[in-house]
Amino acid sequence: MKGYRKYFLNKILWLLITLVFAFILNFILPRMMPGDPVAAIVARLAQGMSNSTGMKQVYEQYTSLFGTNLPLYQQFFIYVNNALHGNFGISFSQYPRTVSDILKSSLIWTIALQFPAIIVGWIIGNTLGALAAYLKKGFDKVLLPVSIFISNFPPFGMAVILLVIFAVNLKWFPTSGGYGFDLIPNLSWKFVWSVIVHYQLPFWSIVLIAIGGQAIGMRSMSIYELNADYVKYSRFLGIKDRKIVWYVFRNAMLPQVTGLALSIGTMVSGALIAEIIFSYPGLGTTLLNGIKGQDYPLISATTLIITLMVLFANFVVELVYGLIDPRIKAAQAD
Amino acid sequence: MAKVMLEVKDLTTKYITRFRENVYAVDHVSLKVEEGKSLGIAGESGCGKSTLALSLMGYYFPPLHYTSGDIIIDGTNISTMKPDEIRKKILGQEIAYIPQAAMNALNPTRKIINLIEDVIQAHDPKAKKKEIYDLAVERFEVLGLPAEVLQKYPVELSGGMKQRTVIAISVILSPKILIADEPSSALDVTSQKMVIKMLLDLMEHGFIKSMIFITHELPLLYNVTDDIMVMYAGQIVEKGTAAQTVFDPLHPYAKGLMGSIIVPERGLRDVKLTAIPGVPPNLKNPPHGCRFAERCRYVVPECKVHPIEMLHIADNRHYRCIFSEEYLRKAYQND
Amino acid sequence: MKHTLQQVFRSGKFVVGFIIFCILLLIVLIYPLIVTDPPLTIIAQGTFFPPGIYVNTYDSVNSPSTYILNLENAGVKRIASKLSDEDRLAMQEFLIVAGVPAEDIDITNTPQLLEQWNSNYDPSKNISGMTLARSRYFQRLNTSLKGLLKPEGEILAAINADSGDLEQIGLVNQNDYVNVGEVANVRLLALGTDNFGRDMLTELVRAAGVSLLIGLVAGLVATLIGLVLGLVSGYIGGIVDDLIMFVTNLFIVIPSFVLLILISFSIGQNKRGAFTIALVIGLTSWVWTARAVRSQVISLRNRDHVNLSKLSGHSIFHIILNDILPYIASYVIMAFILQISSAILVEASLSIIGLGPRTTEVPTLGLLMNWAMIYQAHIIGKWWAYFPVLVVIALITFSMNLMNTGLDQVFNPALRE
Ligand SMILES: Nc1ncnc2c1ncn2[C@@H]1O[C@H](COP(=O)(O)OP(=O)(O)OP(=O)(O)O)[C@@H](O)[C@H]1O
Ligand SMILES: [Mg+2]
Repeated sequence: MKGYRKYFLNKILWLLITLVFAFILNFILPRMMPGDPVAAIVARLAQGMSNSTGMKQVYEQYTSLFGTNLPLYQQFFIYVNNALHGNFGISFSQYPRTVSDILKSSLIWTIALQFPAIIVGWIIGNTLGALAAYLKKGFDKVLLPVSIFISNFPPFGMAVILLVIFAVNLKWFPTSGGYGFDLIPNLSWKFVWSVIVHYQLPFWSIVLIAIGGQAIGMRSMSIYELNADYVKYSRFLGIKDRKIVWYVFRNAMLPQVTGLALSIGTMVSGALIAEIIFSYPGLGTTLLNGIKGQDYPLISATTLIITLMVLFANFVVELVYGLIDPRIKAAQAD
Repeated sequence: MAKVMLEVKDLTTKYITRFRENVYAVDHVSLKVEEGKSLGIAGESGCGKSTLALSLMGYYFPPLHYTSGDIIIDGTNISTMKPDEIRKKILGQEIAYIPQAAMNALNPTRKIINLIEDVIQAHDPKAKKKEIYDLAVERFEVLGLPAEVLQKYPVELSGGMKQRTVIAISVILSPKILIADEPSSALDVTSQKMVIKMLLDLMEHGFIKSMIFITHELPLLYNVTDDIMVMYAGQIVEKGTAAQTVFDPLHPYAKGLMGSIIVPERGLRDVKLTAIPGVPPNLKNPPHGCRFAERCRYVVPECKVHPIEMLHIADNRHYRCIFSEEYLRKAYQND
Repeated sequence: MKHTLQQVFRSGKFVVGFIIFCILLLIVLIYPLIVTDPPLTIIAQGTFFPPGIYVNTYDSVNSPSTYILNLENAGVKRIASKLSDEDRLAMQEFLIVAGVPAEDIDITNTPQLLEQWNSNYDPSKNISGMTLARSRYFQRLNTSLKGLLKPEGEILAAINADSGDLEQIGLVNQNDYVNVGEVANVRLLALGTDNFGRDMLTELVRAAGVSLLIGLVAGLVATLIGLVLGLVSGYIGGIVDDLIMFVTNLFIVIPSFVLLILISFSIGQNKRGAFTIALVIGLTSWVWTARAVRSQVISLRNRDHVNLSKLSGHSIFHIILNDILPYIASYVIMAFILQISSAILVEASLSIIGLGPRTTEVPTLGLLMNWAMIYQAHIIGKWWAYFPVLVVIALITFSMNLMNTGLDQVFNPALRE
């Protein structure tokens, strides 16, 4: 266990570093750009040009909250401190809701949608990839081009196609939303059923997006492992083929787990867009609304949350990897 | 007359490539190894040594395919057995194999002891973990390997240690015959010596009864094995005791190869080995007559007309050439 | 070199990808030479005209020569275009409710059906359970059925300048035809028009061109940065390597999409040209190239030929250029191809969330998609506004990845099996 602890500490340290940089980037990037939305806000405030009193209130609250009249480094600490307390200011576009309030209601939808979908897509993709490598012949001939095509199909395209086929034409599922627009969230059967029905299309489009890339990766990893020297040797030791196949897929899968950690960011981006296509009430749609409403506080907070989510997911996957790859413990022990 | 442990009659196997071409890398090979004896096989790179080693196991998977011939282990003809029967009863138990690239021969994510469990349970599903562990510890100790190795992953072992571990695993079921394919070629000199000593120890302790040792380093063979065979382009071209083949080679190719043994420096030996002019024929389409004819300095037109038969000149003494023993000896003397 | 190329072109996957890509490229290059209209001009009044050939009605009526064709099915077709089977069933339903015995109604007998309809339809009549929408439908149907069976033609009339009376100046008979070739104004809108009323096909071709350019620029930028960082980090090693790898790993875990959103939003709509977007995409997507190049360089660094070159006193530049680059060229090319295709996807994704290039200058594939989504083309069934865009995007990325897979199989033989 000593080896794993070292690995764990290593990963925690890396998580902390990346978190710090996530904050820095989120803070500094907008302020470095020519269009600097923060400066624009302050400028508008200084000129007292905000016409509605509501807007003015927002700006004032914004200045005091983020100390936009202080030096940049002080602003940064205020910003981090606020963010850690879940204080992201008031939304411009949905005044008088606070940003954290908006995020709170959308975060849960995103998490409930994306993580199961990505995991399911990963599992199916890897199984298909392994099968393609093992069965070869016809299955592989069909699967490989299909996977290449799917994994190169734009994520939003997959969502649109599913929507048109299953919602618009077949009318099996609704075209948009997280639940029926005439319902109020509660724990009734009707509501839960509505949520389940609305869940299907976004879920499966994210799954499909994930499958393609994973299947291709797993296929080449498996082919590589199937040709490894240890396969031949194990055969000549008289070990059963079934066991050897298990060796191979286990070994091929390990890099796929690290692969998942590395590609989670990309997958989440694709999934956010799928959310937008289905007007799913998650972070993607929130982000879109923020962009439409030129709502800087909302965009900034959403991107930060997305980054944090990805970093944590990444961290968890790395921890799992440390648990399932025996070499990690061994390699770290000495 | 000692018991014959392994007898191979006219074994022919082929690779079927992606492009559906046949490569006959083992062509009508016959050999015999008696109990307590070892046989060395030598030849240039690409002449089919590794393929012969694989073929001798009697267990084929693509791209290698069995064509014809018999493999008889201690009186049992395994060529007629079903693959799964061979796997269960023969592999590891009757005949064992040490691969050419032992560095990557172990599953990187399996502890040595778990691999040993897999091997033993593949033949005896009822074997208990405790018994297996005890057996492994005992065997490792006898062979001079630390028992801690059992609890390690392959990445944690040094090259030489990995090679010796592979050997120990290969013979864990005390097979009758061990086929070692260049077990020492990738190692440094010290590790090489340890590996060879270990192989000899195996025979001495009775963990194996006979051994086939494949290498292209001829000096090694002379010190290690009783008999030596020389292979060229998928065929055996010369067979005899170690002393005969080394000091009195008959086939011009063997002569060319053995010429190198006299040079003492290690580096030069290898140079000489490949110094026979020309390249071996393409095995997809080997020449009809003598396969060595293109490179042979004693070649005459008849060499290329008919396939050359193996000549049997004394007990355990064969060569594949159209010239007589006397003619060849004289020719070599005149050089 | 020649041998490698030969091998590459023997890979089926590469060739298929290459052909698709070349066809796309040719279309993008040649189409503007044939259709010279600027791609963003609004030609249609209204949104989403369906694909088809548009024939000017005015010119048809005033066509210099008219032809009379007595075609058997003309009448039937004319009726069918106004009175579909669905309409007939609806009429039957109405008539039954209105009290016509079901056995008297024969929906295939058009004259009889119309007669029954005319004598029974009453817009004021309210059938219980009929929705408002349904009753509107019947009203519309009733209007469109007017004069359906009349045998005469349509009269053309003009106001007499002197008397102010409407005078007949022509008659268009039911069996009058014009030759499309003789009509002055005919416009093919192969993909109809978009929500703004622009010719979708022209726009799409242009957008494909712009997106390819964006991909090219972004790919070049990313590959260049990745290559330089990878070379430096791999060849020099030490602290430089540690630093570069730290940054690279950082940007691998921090989703580049988030950075893109922040940057594009901050730049602001007005300053976001296609070129800027391409640069930004390039600047945020070099990490994988850098990593791949680095590991290649590290494995090359201590090869004999590199050491030999070092011993002969060649400069770092010389060594990198002559002894390292040629060996990683295939990887770099493969990475470059992937960068192009992913940049095209990224541009599209950005545009969909409204952070793409500004909308006034050039169309991009992402912008087309964005417009179609905003106007709900997919929900109201205007497939021509989004489906061709998806197909083009998919063809571009698919072809590039096929090429890449083909190259991979040539350069990494282990995957060939
Ligand atoms: N998988 C394969 N498919 C087709 N041909 C093969 C395959 N493996 C080996 N060969 C061919 O079979 C011949 C014999 O190869 P083999 O590996 O047995 O040679 P070797 O004597 O062991 O050489 P080395 O000393 O390099 O190990 C060679 O010509 C080789 O090209
Ligand atoms: Mg070999």
